[in-house]
Amino acid sequence: MAERVFNLPDLGEGLEDAEIVEWKVAPGDDVELNRPLVEVNTAKALVEIPSPFAGRVTTLHGEAGGVVAVGQPLVTFEVETGAPPSAEGEAAAAAGQASPGDAARPKREAVLVGYGVGQEKTGRRRPRLRPPDRRDEGNEARATPLVRRLAREKGIDLTSLRGSGPDGRLTRDDVLKAATKTGARATAETSPEGAPHTTPGEVDAAVAPSNAAAPRRGEEERVAVRGVRRLIAQKMARSWREIPHVTTFHTVDATHVEALRRELTEESGTKVSALSVVVRALAEVCRRHPKLNASFHPDAGEIVLKGSYHVGIAADSERGLLVPVVRDVDAKGITRVARELAEVVEAARAGRATPDQLTGSTITVTNFGVFGSEAGTPIINHPEAAILGTGRIADRAVVIDGQVEVRPTLTLALSFDHRVLDGADADRAMTDLTRLLESPFRLGALPR
Amino acid sequence: MERAEDQTIVRILDPEGRVVDPEARQALDLKEEDLRSLYRFMALSRQVDLECTALQRQGELAVYPPLIGQEAAQVGSAFALGEEDFVFPSYREVGVAVVRDIDLVEYMHFHRGTRHGGIDDPVGKRFGEISVPVSSQTLHAVGWAMGAQKDGRNACAIVYFGDGATSQGDFHEACNFAGVFRTPVVFFCQNNAWAISVPLSKQTAAPIWRKAEAYGFPGVRVDGNDVLASYAVTREALDRARTERTPTLIEAVTYRMGPHSTADDRTRYQPTEEIDRWQELDPLVRFRAFLQSEGMVDPEFLDRVERDAKDLAASVRAGIAGAPPRDIREMFGWMWGDIPAHLARQRDEVAALMEAEGPEDGDA
Amino acid sequence: MPEVTMAQAINQGLRRALTDDDRVLVFGEDIGKLGGVFRITDRLQEEFGEDRVFDTPLAESAILGVSIGLAMAGWKPVPEIQFDAFSYPALDQVISHVAKYRFRSAGTVSMPIVMRLPVGGAVGAAEHHSESPEVYYAHTAGLKVVIPSTPIDAFNLLLASIRDPDPVIYLEPKARYWSKEPGELEPNGLPIGAARVLREGAHGTLVTWGGMVPRCLAAAEAAAEDGVELEVLDLRCLVPLDLDRLIASARKTGRVVVVHEAPMTAGFGGEVVARVVEDAFEYLEAPVLRVTGYDLPYPPATVEEHYLPSVDRILLAVQRTLTF
Repeated sequence: MAERVFNLPDLGEGLEDAEIVEWKVAPGDDVELNRPLVEVNTAKALVEIPSPFAGRVTTLHGEAGGVVAVGQPLVTFEVETGAPPSAEGEAAAAAGQASPGDAARPKREAVLVGYGVGQEKTGRRRPRLRPPDRRDEGNEARATPLVRRLAREKGIDLTSLRGSGPDGRLTRDDVLKAATKTGARATAETSPEGAPHTTPGEVDAAVAPSNAAAPRRGEEERVAVRGVRRLIAQKMARSWREIPHVTTFHTVDATHVEALRRELTEESGTKVSALSVVVRALAEVCRRHPKLNASFHPDAGEIVLKGSYHVGIAADSERGLLVPVVRDVDAKGITRVARELAEVVEAARAGRATPDQLTGSTITVTNFGVFGSEAGTPIINHPEAAILGTGRIADRAVVIDGQVEVRPTLTLALSFDHRVLDGADADRAMTDLTRLLESPFRLGALPR
Repeated sequence: MERAEDQTIVRILDPEGRVVDPEARQALDLKEEDLRSLYRFMALSRQVDLECTALQRQGELAVYPPLIGQEAAQVGSAFALGEEDFVFPSYREVGVAVVRDIDLVEYMHFHRGTRHGGIDDPVGKRFGEISVPVSSQTLHAVGWAMGAQKDGRNACAIVYFGDGATSQGDFHEACNFAGVFRTPVVFFCQNNAWAISVPLSKQTAAPIWRKAEAYGFPGVRVDGNDVLASYAVTREALDRARTERTPTLIEAVTYRMGPHSTADDRTRYQPTEEIDRWQELDPLVRFRAFLQSEGMVDPEFLDRVERDAKDLAASVRAGIAGAPPRDIREMFGWMWGDIPAHLARQRDEVAALMEAEGPEDGDA
Repeated sequence: MPEVTMAQAINQGLRRALTDDDRVLVFGEDIGKLGGVFRITDRLQEEFGEDRVFDTPLAESAILGVSIGLAMAGWKPVPEIQFDAFSYPALDQVISHVAKYRFRSAGTVSMPIVMRLPVGGAVGAAEHHSESPEVYYAHTAGLKVVIPSTPIDAFNLLLASIRDPDPVIYLEPKARYWSKEPGELEPNGLPIGAARVLREGAHGTLVTWGGMVPRCLAAAEAAAEDGVELEVLDLRCLVPLDLDRLIASARKTGRVVVVHEAPMTAGFGGEVVARVVEDAFEYLEAPVLRVTGYDLPYPPATVEEHYLPSVDRILLAVQRTLTF
């Protein structure tokens, strides 16, 4: 003997349920195929349901006056194994299903005329999506598909351009002009002086006046906030609004950092900046202080500690602040970090950075020293947990063993998310970083 | 039933199975064996019909329109057809399908929702696809008959439809064409008194059979629960079509003992007394009484018929219950002789999706 | 707040219209004593009498044809055609006269007819009971085409349709008849021709109507799990089309996918695509795509889920626009 469950089928009008009016059988009854089991009232009709099996009734699911949902058990039977009446019933039962008919159709929700409504379900392997790289903040550049394609090919971010066409539409000329311009700029920046580092001359270059003309005296000019400017504004505001910032300062004797970068520059022929040494050292420290390399998720009530060390580099560009990313810094030598850092910064400035090069950082470094700043209080690159600001490296008077000495120093400023780290956590990490940068042995142990 | 009292109605057997028109009875070209066959077909039709209603209640068919009560009209008329004659059914003609030896499992795939139409090779089988748009098939019958006639074939078309269908323009246009072109077609209307919930009195203000007059050919009213009379008038109409190129409209007065379809709730409109009254006029009971009174059947025969009927019903159940869906990819090939590019692209899309999804219903 | 089904909402809408305006007539096949095959006209004959709510003979062309005469006699006919595919015999009257009478009378005779028609599939129905004929009507100049997807909209759009002095094809998605919504069935003044943003999103827009609305919402829900925010626009009316909302959404997101049940070729989706391309061309990040039924007759019930746009098919199209 085997147990068979007969579920309430959709009785032709796709209704959701039916009310039991009267049972025509009782537990223990032996019934033959098609013997009336029960009279039910659907929203449309009074219907007698015949038995799909020959066998003994063991359970009636529900009482007169009760409501049974379509697809729910109505009657359980005990039937002879191998008894033929409903071939499909056998198959269904064997498959652990219940009602005849189920196996032939997708699972359905009841509605009307016929079998009922199929569920809005996704398949086992539903397509996964990735948010678009652009326009995710409701940005609207106006350009024809042709111009968009051109921009994509030339690596031009349309949102950074002002359209010269009708109603401000971006034209092919706009893109081509922008491409020529950034091409020239990119060439200039590949010179050795292009990358951020520390000589006074470079600082002068970096602080050259911006090309925005001041409004006429006594007047005001309204500049529409759009494109990258708008994105920056949104991101900064969000970070400041959501993240409780704390900034801590540590001054580092950069003697050995400078020595190392000079040595590596000579050795490799690649210009290695002090910044790249700091970036590489930071990755090392993050591994030992995981909360530095993390993000806070208030909705989930979680802190996510990142197992990757992708360092974002805040870079000034014609269009505003960009944050290109050097990926997997912990797995790379300093020289390589220096090379990649220069590449991504250049690509970002030229507007030809790939989405991968502009997203995915787990912690960010901003080198305000390049603009002459001693120290600052950087705003965290939301949703990261910390940002490290590096001040200008310059010879300063420091007291060593009671003696005033001249040493190159720089001040590190770490802004951190107080929801993730406490001050003690942050300072422990910064002390660790300071010691690493000041120790010729530990610096020397970093992959070159 | 007032219509049953109507003097115009053709009837050979009364409700008790007694011969009321011995002359007509004598004129029948039916052997004893044929008479038993008529009964057998009616019994098979009823059993299959009951089985299909049950299958729908058990979730095996999407919807099913029962024919119960109309067995005599369907079997009697279909039995009169020659092999070359073409049947154009509506959607309630399982009795006709039984007589014409149509594969009933194939037919029920229509009601299971596994395929449309219901008939493979309808032209070869002389049995058109199931036609749901009411009355649309009347014109197809006229057209087929015109074509057969142009070929000089001695074949007729018979089209089945209900009382409700006589309200549609298509019916009148079909009659008019048949009258004008003198096509060999028999319009067989099963007046079962109800078009879903609308009674005949609200469907037409004049008797159906008399509408033929307006189109220039004979109309006949027959007791549709009398299988012999249904046979006789159809046979006569077919002869007239073959020999005189004259169409006929037959109104077979019968009764829909079941709901319009399994989706219907007839208790909302069909008076119980009316159903009870017609219960007394059951066509099978009537004809069995006739056969018994004539001594043509014995209990052994009746047992055998009952067994055959149950076997046929069981074979329909075995064939249709749990039958898997047809593959939609195959259906793209049913559209045209070739598959144009835009359609091939769609077929490939669905194929890719199905392959990505894996076997039917395997997901939790 | 009480929950109502769309079937109840339309029933209430008809009751309200019959109460408020004694020129309204409701008729069709089986709509009287039976209350319609979907019970949409349940008890209306009992309440308003056979003069105003009546069964007709089985003849769709006649139902629409006499509606024209009734309208000319000063009545407001609200005929029901039982099922989508049974509306075809009436196309001659609808196309040749209902849609044209005002035009042909130099604007003097309006046709305040509301043809109610259950449409669409996904209900496991028999052949001819699952079709989506909206484009035949939308393509016919002179007809307004309304298709609600929720009970409250159904109620209010029905009242707006009956108020309208011109012919309205009021399509009722069968798959939505038993869908429930909490709310009061009180007229809210909703006009014909206003689409509705059911869900806001920045990354793409799903444009849809009728029975496909819940699928698009389900797709948007799934996309959100991946961080993709889709806007879902329920057109609610195909004619007149709410160009303002359609174009605004297309400009906002730059990616548009149209979803409908009817076959693709010459489906209404093509019209939506054309409008977006005409008015939001330079805002588009990707081609405007359609996810529709295939170019087959509506297939048998057991395979309809392979035919109808599924959540997966919608997501695949979205993916294509995102990675374009």
